[in-house]
Amino acid sequence: MTTPLIEGRGLGRIYGTLTALADADFRVMPGEVRGLVGSNGAGKSTLIKILTGAVAPTSGTVSVMGEEVRLGDPSEMIRRGVACIYQHSNLAPAMSVMDNVYLGRQPTGRFGRVNRTRLEADTRALMARHGMEIDPLATVGNLPTVKQKEVEILKALALDARVLLMDEPTGWLSAADVTRLHRTIRTLKASGVGIVYISHMLDEIFAVCDTLTVMRDGRVIAERDIAETTRPKLVELMVGEKLARDSAAAAHEARRPRGTGEVRLAVDGLGKTGVFRDVSFDLHAGEILCVTGLIGSKRTELMRVIFGADRADAGSVEVDGRAVAFRSPGEAMAAGIGFVPEDRHRDGLMLGLSMTDNLIMSTIPRVCRSVFLDRTKVAATAKRLVSDLAIQPPDTDKAARLFSGGNQQKILVGKWLNLGPKILILDEPTVGVDVGAKAEIYAILRAQRDAGAAILVVSSDLEEVVTVADRIAVMVSGRMVAIHDADAIDRTRLIEEIGGAA
Amino acid sequence: MTALVPTLGRRLAPHALPLAMFAIVVAFAISEPAFLKPDNLIGIVRQVAITGIMAVGMTFVIMTGGIDLSVGPVLALSGVIAWFSLDAGAPLLVGIAAGLSVGLVVGVLNGLIIARIELPPIIVTLAMLSMVRGAALIIGGPDLHQIRGQEAYAAIGSGNFLGLPISVHLFALVTLLMIFVQKATPLGLLVAAIGENERAARLSGHRTRLTKTALYAICGVGAAIAGIVQSSQVHTASATYGEFGTELDVIASVVLGGTSLMGGNGSIARTILGVMFLGIMNNGMNILNVPIDIQLIAKGAIIALSLALSEAKG
Amino acid sequence: MTARSATFALLAFFAATFAFFCVAAPRFATASNMENLMSGFSFVAILAIGQSFPILLRGIDLSVGAIVALAGMIVFDLELIFHLPGPVILVAALAAATLAGALNGWMVVRLKLQPFIATLATLAAYRGLVYSISGRQLVPGLSTTPIRNPWITGLETYFDLGTTLGLSDWVTLPWFPLGFFVMLAVLAAFHFLLGSTRFGRSLYTVGGNPEAARLAGIDTGRVTLAAYAMSGFCAGLAALLLVARLTTATEALGTGMEMSAIAAAVIGGVSLAGGIGSVIGPVIGAFLLGTILIGLTLLGISQYVQQILTGAILLAAVGYDRILVVRRRRRLEANLAEETRA
Repeated sequence: MTTPLIEGRGLGRIYGTLTALADADFRVMPGEVRGLVGSNGAGKSTLIKILTGAVAPTSGTVSVMGEEVRLGDPSEMIRRGVACIYQHSNLAPAMSVMDNVYLGRQPTGRFGRVNRTRLEADTRALMARHGMEIDPLATVGNLPTVKQKEVEILKALALDARVLLMDEPTGWLSAADVTRLHRTIRTLKASGVGIVYISHMLDEIFAVCDTLTVMRDGRVIAERDIAETTRPKLVELMVGEKLARDSAAAAHEARRPRGTGEVRLAVDGLGKTGVFRDVSFDLHAGEILCVTGLIGSKRTELMRVIFGADRADAGSVEVDGRAVAFRSPGEAMAAGIGFVPEDRHRDGLMLGLSMTDNLIMSTIPRVCRSVFLDRTKVAATAKRLVSDLAIQPPDTDKAARLFSGGNQQKILVGKWLNLGPKILILDEPTVGVDVGAKAEIYAILRAQRDAGAAILVVSSDLEEVVTVADRIAVMVSGRMVAIHDADAIDRTRLIEEIGGAA
Repeated sequence: MTALVPTLGRRLAPHALPLAMFAIVVAFAISEPAFLKPDNLIGIVRQVAITGIMAVGMTFVIMTGGIDLSVGPVLALSGVIAWFSLDAGAPLLVGIAAGLSVGLVVGVLNGLIIARIELPPIIVTLAMLSMVRGAALIIGGPDLHQIRGQEAYAAIGSGNFLGLPISVHLFALVTLLMIFVQKATPLGLLVAAIGENERAARLSGHRTRLTKTALYAICGVGAAIAGIVQSSQVHTASATYGEFGTELDVIASVVLGGTSLMGGNGSIARTILGVMFLGIMNNGMNILNVPIDIQLIAKGAIIALSLALSEAKG
Repeated sequence: MTARSATFALLAFFAATFAFFCVAAPRFATASNMENLMSGFSFVAILAIGQSFPILLRGIDLSVGAIVALAGMIVFDLELIFHLPGPVILVAALAAATLAGALNGWMVVRLKLQPFIATLATLAAYRGLVYSISGRQLVPGLSTTPIRNPWITGLETYFDLGTTLGLSDWVTLPWFPLGFFVMLAVLAAFHFLLGSTRFGRSLYTVGGNPEAARLAGIDTGRVTLAAYAMSGFCAGLAALLLVARLTTATEALGTGMEMSAIAAAVIGGVSLAGGIGSVIGPVIGAFLLGTILIGLTLLGISQYVQQILTGAILLAAVGYDRILVVRRRRRLEANLAEETRA
């Protein structure tokens, strides 16, 4: 048996009280393309970060070509030929393409002077070898995102990488670019490079991978040959049998498209230059409308406009039949709209503040007596929400940072439920949330719906969409291309529409 | 054993400042018993009242990740304006109000530029430092202006009430008021929220820009109050008061009190601890006749050390 | 590209201001006034060059004024008390200043202190050190003795380039102070370092995207340490020029100079957000400040009004930087929009 290019044994990583990764074994052979799949928060990114040296594991070892390596040191991993293309850009935007490609390793001449002629020649040669075409002198920040992605790939290739980790490499790419990327991957594979391919797009996984590692809740739960698995089996592995069963059950449950029939939110021809355009839909009291689509299809941007966090420049929004044009989230809240943002750490929670403070953050006037905070009311509100939502542990003075992802998400949802919103918008409400909390959050949403709230959920997770939606809207590249009753569309058709095949 | 040291450090870090303060109080008391006399202790509070009032005002600003370098000249201008008003025959309260309005105006200007136009606080208030100083010098000239025949005004800085200097009462009043604001009003909660996560605060429906502007206004008014206390304490007003370095002492006090310059957690009560710490250091070293050079080096070393220590907990 | 056009805009603004004062201010366009400008602001320019390194890394160095005093006092002591040879004095002063800067860097890197606080602490500590080593206190008799060592006073030499080049028959050129050429040399060296070496590229990366730099295997700690050391070195050099001019050093030397240095760097387009800027900008920024201050003085405008104007210029400079940032963001969004449509 040949030596694996890279092998991790018993890898674990704990953040505070959160176990992001536990006892994971992982290996990649020469010429292998290994798919790494799992829902959000399954621990894929943590595993990748350990393999690149960006974070040190709290337990376990990593070997490259059979040699154990020093952990948590990016330069060590680079030296050993492990390169990574990250989900988020890791380029220096103010610098040229060639400087980025050879970042920190530019060829130098006398007095440490960077040999720009050679740098440019090297970059061109590298691009020629891999069939790419970018001006080496262009400033990266001025390039289109697709080209920036290519620069990132070049950067990895420039390292003569033997192991190439790709974390959601196609999030921003068009179908043609994805095909091209896959061609590049096959070329690399033929030359003996080992590749780890992380993606939510199962089509891509089946198109390009040889083997699969499935992760869930911070653990590796299965390894499969791509030939011996099928898509439904894979989905079941990823989301767990129980959820798969639940979702099947939910599909049979009576859905309530258009809820009570009363239009709560009417969006007509809404547009924001260069972002989205001509978006129209109605949201009814007592229904859950899921807006799905690819990452970058501008769903979050649309929600921010509806919530008054950004401004539209075309079209109109009506709430309960009255035209509105919110200039701030505060005005939208006054009209009864709540918004649970996608990135709870960046946009949602005050991590250093207590759970109580977070829970009352959107409803401070309600817990005041004249101009003072009424601590009794504050405590009562927090206690009620904690028991309503079953937040664990029920320690209201504990900082939000110290709760698990699922409970943090419940805190965030609770903060908005306390407003008693007529319209509740949730952007990716279960990202990084464990399976149990997911089910609880779905139950909360259904309860709110049944109580008459109009609920708008942005989700990229198809399992989630078919589980909770009464109706499903699809966005492609800033346009809302279709709205279906959830029972009236099958998953294959939905996947096609999301991919822009409509 | 090796694991014990960092654990111990983490345990002690939150209490580093009180512990250090206790240690130096004991050290000073042993080497110079006069240090512990009530007169000296009251004297310390009186000495720190001016810096203290400014530090209390600045705490909220720093908690939101901002800073105000312009407090020194505001202190000067406020005294000068109060003097001008009183000299022109205005009643006491009008004079004081005129002085305070200086702080309000400069603070609001700082706040608007920082919150609305989103320019970096450090540069905005640095520019304001220069501009307010220039304005103070244009109005007041480089001379000292004697404040004569204003017993009531002079009492603010030099008078006694219930056996304590009025400036100490004032310092306590401002502190208690701000502690109350922090603990018991929505503004206090909002300051913490903005410091923790400004984006989230805005998405929670709060008017973050308005709030930030208000905080700079509070800071400006704090500096103006300090200016009035100072000018009445020395019976003179001058455009050159609050010389360069004043703002750094104020910032050092706040930061020693555990408020991070990156924003986030902070507390008025702990700022007072920082103020007292620096005050005790200065007083003790003066009593012990420590030369100025050692005082400066010790001050720098202690600021760096105590902050490095509190960083260790994170 | 944007950085370059910003430098051109600044240069154009400098030229316009300069031209304005040539016309409007009496005795501005004279050789002696140009000598004033060059000798009076060359050291500010050097401080501004030094300051750009910490700012490029999203930091700041408040201690440069104190380092100036420290280096100045070392020159004073070594010359007047210890009578060491000139070259030794120069090297010792520069080494001490560089070391002081490196200590700042060490506190930022190792103690993880915020640069503002670290350099605030050393601002006090270094100034204290100056008092404790002050030859004026140790040997009071020396306080009125001027420094005469030609190695030091030689820095305050003026060159009559006009005569040398045979141009003085045509125009009256100012005599160029040696300090001006020292400044140009520093500018050239650091411009090369920043623009053309791997170290310079690394410094921009650490400032622009520290995480990318770390993942690319760049030793961010070493780069940071070096940046603060260079700021200290520049402060030392500025101190030498100042001492040469004054032929003495005082404990208060350099007080408040960090403000001028920061202002010149920011006016010169070094962005506080890190990763953007050059060393040419700060030099132009320093001379722009100088031109305005000297010009206004010649116009008879009070020094107090000048303070107000200095503040206003600083505000205008960051405001302009802000406009550039917003524009860059808009263009990026426009790019994204194009892809969306494509």
